[in-house]
Amino acid sequence: MSVEPLWSENLRKTYAVKGMPPVEALAGVSMNVHPGERVALLGRNGAGKTTFLRIASTLLRPTSGQIRVFGHDVSEHPERARPYIAVVPQEGKPFFHLPPREMIYTYLRARGLSRETSQSRTEEAIERMGLAEFADRLCITLSGGQRQRTMVATVIATQAPLLFLDEPTIGMDPFARREVWASLRDLTAKGSTILLTTHYLDEAEALSHRLYIVERGQVIVSGTSDDLKRSVGGTLKVSLPQGASEVESFRSFGEVVADGESLTIIVHPERLGELMELAVRRRLTATVGPVTLEEAFLRVVGRKIDED
Amino acid sequence: MRTDPPTTPIRQSRPFGGTGAFLWTEVLVQAHESLAMATSMVTQTVLLVFVYILNPGLIGVALIGAVLFSAFTLGQRVLNEAAYIRIDHKANDLYLAGPMTPEGYFLGMAGGILIVYLAPIALLGALAVLVAHLSLTTSLALLGLAGLVWLFAASIGYIFSTFFRDNRAIWAYASLFFNVFGVLPPVFYPLGFFPAALRPVALLMPPSAAAALLQSRIGETTLSTGQTELALFGLIAETALVFLFAIYWARRTVRGP
Repeated sequence: MSVEPLWSENLRKTYAVKGMPPVEALAGVSMNVHPGERVALLGRNGAGKTTFLRIASTLLRPTSGQIRVFGHDVSEHPERARPYIAVVPQEGKPFFHLPPREMIYTYLRARGLSRETSQSRTEEAIERMGLAEFADRLCITLSGGQRQRTMVATVIATQAPLLFLDEPTIGMDPFARREVWASLRDLTAKGSTILLTTHYLDEAEALSHRLYIVERGQVIVSGTSDDLKRSVGGTLKVSLPQGASEVESFRSFGEVVADGESLTIIVHPERLGELMELAVRRRLTATVGPVTLEEAFLRVVGRKIDED
Repeated sequence: MRTDPPTTPIRQSRPFGGTGAFLWTEVLVQAHESLAMATSMVTQTVLLVFVYILNPGLIGVALIGAVLFSAFTLGQRVLNEAAYIRIDHKANDLYLAGPMTPEGYFLGMAGGILIVYLAPIALLGALAVLVAHLSLTTSLALLGLAGLVWLFAASIGYIFSTFFRDNRAIWAYASLFFNVFGVLPPVFYPLGFFPAALRPVALLMPPSAAAALLQSRIGETTLSTGQTELALFGLIAETALVFLFAIYWARRTVRGP
């Protein structure tokens, strides 16, 4: 039996829709998340990320396939998996008529933690997530970002062995997002494991050890963000603002995209010198930068959409 | 990255685990709605005024009915709260995807709402004892029967809450159910005023069954042994069945189909 924090094999989920053909949300997802890892699940809207997270967090029945949390079969015995997990639900909100301090404390007590532990973890989470200024104000008076921080703080304070975070930093300002990232890194350093979904690819890159890209219910790529970048033909991006007319000369270096007068080439670092020499010979201005995860994501998912 | 498993000891949940803590959470949440506590008595007060104007001699019966109706309408608050938390806040996922048990979530919510709204119900109860000159045993019977009505209504409210996907639909249907079954049958007035052919139905509906039993104790209604048994055992059986089903349903509906 697998004792990985999360393991799934050929997981499928089909939704029956009245008067319509069934919708296949997951079409055989296999995944393995190791202890202490932070793994990001990426994909377009409706790709199946939240469905997977809801099944893994015992909130939705799979149609077929296997999924285990710390070796416990989530399909057959969800109640055995639940003590190991904590979830930030997509678009979840704290109780509006509780202040963050009471929200966190009462949630920890409801999970069975002692008064002392709940108290100390509440204060730690408030401090860590920068909630101190408004920790005693009712959540209804807080901004959307502050409420989301409260939700994340509530779940982080559990220090559960496995955390599922569905778009945890949505609506947060860049400072708050970085506080969340730091808290999540601390948590995994203590032994927790995290599976998160996000549409912020800088977040996925900064935070995750590995990522899975899901498209139409299937994993189309998995690996590190560098693996993903390499899969699009290189890790460097050369932009030639006046290079569109020379597209054929640069095609052999890698993937080329002409947009108006400009040309963008994805290239491996070892061929960069050769490419720059050619650009100089053609008297073209060139800008070199790293391929971002977002660019790699767009290309990988775009390719899959074209294939389908 | 760590490669060893987490060292936090994991305990499996016990049945009804988390009930007390979620009850306290719900008390804190509900306690902020002080206006709702005041308005929870509006319908009862209006009906009591009507009864007092039309037939002051029935005010004792009406006060007993008001206590039972108040316990019954707490089911509507459970329905509203459970649906609101699930549909609007999605906070049920936060609680249920964890060690807290689904039955603890349901009972904690129902218990928390009961505690917060207990003060106005207790006030009505005290008035009923004084005005209708209830003996100690009848007062205890009122307490027990109101408790059964509350448990029935809270269970029905929680079960119903799981069928809604939109809060707007709840506004339309929830008050309809609880007001129709709490006001139309003989809860605020004696069973004898109800059409004879429909009395067995009234004796099978928890609020009016409890009311009929109490009216019988204070001499406002005469029940045969068969009618008494129908009302009492019907109320106990219905409450037990609905409560057990609510426990089952709470566990069943944690996971979507």
